[in-house]
Amino acid sequence: MKLNLILFCTLIIFSLAKVNAHHQYRQSYLLLEQEKKLTVELKDEKTKLQIEESSKSGNARIKQVSKNQLGMKLPNKFQKRVISR
Amino acid sequence: MKHGMKNRYEFFELSKIRRRLVLVVILSIFVALFSRAFYVQVIKKDYYQFEGFKSSNKKIDLPAYRGKIYDRQGKVLAASAPVNSITVYLPVLNEERAKKGKNKKILKVKLLKLAKLLKMNFSDLDKKLKRKKRGEIVLKRQLDPKTASKVMALNIKGITSKKTYKRYYPNDIFSAHAVGLATADGVGKEGIEKFMNTKLAGKGGSKKVIWDSKERTVGGLGEVVVPVDGKDIHLTIDSRLQEKMYGSLKKAVDKHEAKSGSAILIDSRTGEVIAMSNFPSYDPNNLTKNQTKFVKNKALIDVYEPGSTLKPISISLALEKNLINEKMKFDTKDGKRRIGGRTITDHHPHGVMTVAQIVQKSSNVGTTMIFDNVKPSDLWGIYHNFGFGSKTGIEFPGERKGVHKSYESWKEIDFYTRTYGYGINGSLAQIVRAYTPFANEGELMPLTMIKSDEPVIGKKVLSKMTSNRMLKILEGVISIDGTAHQAIIPGYRVAGKTGTARGYDGGYDGTHMASFVGIAPASDPKFIMAVMIHAPTKGGIYGGVMAAPVFKEVVTEALKLYSIPQDGLTSPHNGIIANKAL
Repeated sequence: MKLNLILFCTLIIFSLAKVNAHHQYRQSYLLLEQEKKLTVELKDEKTKLQIEESSKSGNARIKQVSKNQLGMKLPNKFQKRVISR
Repeated sequence: MKHGMKNRYEFFELSKIRRRLVLVVILSIFVALFSRAFYVQVIKKDYYQFEGFKSSNKKIDLPAYRGKIYDRQGKVLAASAPVNSITVYLPVLNEERAKKGKNKKILKVKLLKLAKLLKMNFSDLDKKLKRKKRGEIVLKRQLDPKTASKVMALNIKGITSKKTYKRYYPNDIFSAHAVGLATADGVGKEGIEKFMNTKLAGKGGSKKVIWDSKERTVGGLGEVVVPVDGKDIHLTIDSRLQEKMYGSLKKAVDKHEAKSGSAILIDSRTGEVIAMSNFPSYDPNNLTKNQTKFVKNKALIDVYEPGSTLKPISISLALEKNLINEKMKFDTKDGKRRIGGRTITDHHPHGVMTVAQIVQKSSNVGTTMIFDNVKPSDLWGIYHNFGFGSKTGIEFPGERKGVHKSYESWKEIDFYTRTYGYGINGSLAQIVRAYTPFANEGELMPLTMIKSDEPVIGKKVLSKMTSNRMLKILEGVISIDGTAHQAIIPGYRVAGKTGTARGYDGGYDGTHMASFVGIAPASDPKFIMAVMIHAPTKGGIYGGVMAAPVFKEVVTEALKLYSIPQDGLTSPHNGIIANKAL
């Protein structure tokens, strides 16, 4: 009778432990999936930034910005000096 | 105790029949329960397991990301970024719309907001939603994720957002022909996107997962097919020069009211294509119906008679065989020569000319005179060795090998016209490649668009001495007395050859193909560029006027960008820059 009681208690404890382990696994899996989703989002974000960088660093845009916003211009032939020949 | 009244025990004491009845009822309940349990767990076990599995288990597709395409500087030329498709499941939405009262008014406000976010008229949206035949319809494709999340925040029943990917081409129109095009489903349709599709596309995967009631993945079922992402590709092209080349071609085509223009710039040492462009082009980000006719990469796919740009190749044969030297003179008289019942003419009569002058002035008559003692098989052989009649091997779909008929079928006139580039045809890519021996001590280099660390192995087609002699002769073309003085680049020695050939479309169509191939700097070649302007109608027809300025503009920019020191100027790094490979 006593042994049965002990075995019954052990069974209850292990059953609860199993349920808990399963729950922990599901929680961890959920977190893993969220992290994976975040990785994909960051990867997408990186791609978007690369696309933006490429489209904004074109020669035509740089020329336009340097000319219109920074007031830069090419030197004329009188402003050029050959240092060494 | 009154008579007839039952005491407490007597009151709860059941008769024998009633006791049995209760027992039977209880037993019947247990039998029913066990029977049901047996039915569910044994007889219908598979069915209920399947149904349970269906509601909590789901197979998720794992997409493979399409690889990116980079230029030689590491700039993105093509990449896939997320976009969303907004779909509506009509039965659910219509059920909501059928409801009356306050909810109906709220839903209408939400739908008005939805129409605004999707940039649609409310009436159009309403019309779409009233379709009865279909269950699910797509309201908007390729919506940016921010707007899609605003749509989902409206919390309209039946509306879902699905993440997809769209291919972006940040270099727009400028690199369209080089990079190509992929469909909305991520399948390469043109150019490198098509040629390298298998490598770029990768392979999608899937996995089976367990879902909870909130549709979150809470467990895996072990059945995973791991997706393999597409590989990134690094091209040899330079997006900065693509932009410059496209702009210069556009300017030339507009100025001379030509039909189209094409150009290729290569690294003379490695055969790497640094820039390749055509005008008109198309916008790969937004291909319209009108632009579809411009999708073809004419620089690689169209073939034409190169004309005088082939003279340096044919004359190299005579130089190589020691039949002539640069100073040997030929009397072209009035610039006319009758061969096989046809008259070969020069644009202007030049009289007595040296071999160098024949190339410099591009004399057809003079060229034919050089070949009076050359066998047709030798002429056929040199063109064949220089790559005509065979593909360049460039990584591009649809490349054509052109027509280079066997010398056995040639008549006398066919032989002579071939000496100055008629009767044979090739693509601009073949022509630019055919100039690599002059810049590379006689080695013909393969063309490539894919960056590689492996050493490039050329094919010796000419002796070092002959190639250097021809390069020197070609420098004479880019002079005040030559046909391409518009290709002079101040500070640099440049070599090249012009070409003006008749347009051919099933027969000579009356148009002209003005072309130019140049090498810079001639002192230590780095770049070779071929330009072709098709059917110019204003300002002349000659390659020196139409195509040479395009060469000058693009190569000047290339020399500047790659810090190639000017000839005669000492490099600030004692020649280190001058010897550095690109």
